[in-house]
Amino acid sequence: MAHEYELSIGPIHPALKEPIMIRVKVEGEEIVDVDVIASQNHRGIEWLGMNRNNAIQSIYLAERVCGICNFCHPSCLVMAVEEIADIEVPERAQYIRVIQGELERIHSHLLWAGVAAHELGFDTLLHYVWMVREKVMDVLELVNGNRVTKSIIMYGGVRRDIKEEHVEHIRKMLDYYRNAFSKLAKFFLEDKTMEKRTREIGILTERDAIELAAVGPTARASGIKKDVRQDFPYFAYPDFDIHAITPDELTGYTVGDVYDRIVVRLLEVKQSIDIIEEALNEMPSGEIIAEKKLVKLMAKIKASEGEAVARYEAPRGEDIHYVKLKKGFEPLYSWKVRAPTYINILSWRPMLVGYQIADIPIIAASIDPCMSCTNRIAVVKDGKERIFTSDYFHELSVKKTRRLMK
Amino acid sequence: MGVSGGGGEKMNAEEAMKKFQDNGYEAWLSSRNAGVKNRVERKTLWVKVERDSIREAAEFLKNMADEYPHFSIISCSDEGEYMCLNYHFTLSYARRLQEFIVTLKVDVPKDDLRIDSIADIFPAIIYSEREIKEMAGVEFNGIPDDRHMFLTKDFPSGVYPWRRDETAPKETNKLYERWKNGA
Repeated sequence: MAHEYELSIGPIHPALKEPIMIRVKVEGEEIVDVDVIASQNHRGIEWLGMNRNNAIQSIYLAERVCGICNFCHPSCLVMAVEEIADIEVPERAQYIRVIQGELERIHSHLLWAGVAAHELGFDTLLHYVWMVREKVMDVLELVNGNRVTKSIIMYGGVRRDIKEEHVEHIRKMLDYYRNAFSKLAKFFLEDKTMEKRTREIGILTERDAIELAAVGPTARASGIKKDVRQDFPYFAYPDFDIHAITPDELTGYTVGDVYDRIVVRLLEVKQSIDIIEEALNEMPSGEIIAEKKLVKLMAKIKASEGEAVARYEAPRGEDIHYVKLKKGFEPLYSWKVRAPTYINILSWRPMLVGYQIADIPIIAASIDPCMSCTNRIAVVKDGKERIFTSDYFHELSVKKTRRLMK
Repeated sequence: MGVSGGGGEKMNAEEAMKKFQDNGYEAWLSSRNAGVKNRVERKTLWVKVERDSIREAAEFLKNMADEYPHFSIISCSDEGEYMCLNYHFTLSYARRLQEFIVTLKVDVPKDDLRIDSIADIFPAIIYSEREIKEMAGVEFNGIPDDRHMFLTKDFPSGVYPWRRDETAPKETNKLYERWKNGA
């Protein structure tokens, strides 16, 4: 009988880059069991929102749940609070929110496509895709003044308008991506090596995807036509004819493997381009925020009481925030953030079992994991695990400053 | 769909509410509009469940509609005498404009913080039960895996970040307190 070995990938590993530990049992090259140890550092974002911050400060905190999805999490929080405090959002703001959300999806999916190429050892493609991605980053900077953490959403609307001079740049970007799409599709979907490394690898069956509550492109690549923008729309999304994208649209059938996850994300970039174009054409004029005075807004939120659940289709899948407010209580009374990776890492086990060690990086990456939104670091040195505290880091920092001053 | 569960019929939020009410549960709806030109109403169904009947309610939900309920998350709230757990699910997903949220609300008294695990009914719930255990101090009877989920192994026992009583962390806010006092 073959010997079973245990292999730890992480807590920090070059193939995954973010802090999470996957412990796999292997027999020879084959993976027989998987355990995910969701890291050992917790930033306590929910605690901060429930104890330290007021509701407006928490928007900026939510933005830092994850750098990539810096629009999704604050949006989710804002929607929940708007529901409780009964704040109506101006029409133009709803459209701007849609455009911001889709710009984010384009940049996030392209970032992922680059990472996937890198995991397969195809670094030329990584650099190419990330070059292409710069176009949308430029537009984000132009419209928001910042590439990431854009601080654009606010209770009752958005903080910055999309002006006439921006529209022209956005349209140029859309044309650029339409032209780039066929080239990207060719590199990712027609290349022989890419296909060999991703076809029939890391399969997640529809049944497992349903039972393990997979969300986003991970679920859709397994054939579940589930998309919050279609099923439970928010912002101005009901105005658009959005359908959940499954891989059979392009290939004619669904396998639920890594290849299918690439197909879904590429098609979604295309879908986002169409949504942005339609939104630019249909965007009503008018106010962009319901209440400009922050003190008044704060007072309104502080006087509100109730609970609400908000959901948002982030690039990685569904975000869900539960918020409870109590009258006279300044921070959020209760706040639960559920990022898509939280639930999608459950799917790693069925995806990995039966495949080879060398497939781990690409399979793990295929759900587009985002550890910062799921968690939160243990340091292992000479086989011993040590936990460093913030006081220790502060001490180190002070020492370094002193050294430099000498 | 093919998974064990979801053998019932297709239903909307009102029908689901009625079904819960007919079976003796207290249930109510909340809603919120979305869209500019095409206004749609999105609904959330809240169902009050007694602590000891969480397993029955979970089984009932699992077999009620024609599809397997999608589990989202368990959220919790410290209500003084008890902890309120909210089990968030969605039904009628993968259908345009038809999905709705189903939230099972359970109050667990602080003098006996236990509830039955439903991880065998909904396997996706395991991470969430582990998280609630470490964050709120609620024990889940029969949980298949009760290791820490997100907190470090050396996190002090008996301290629960999501509580608002004597078990809440006290030392964590030092930096902010110093800043607030101008130090």
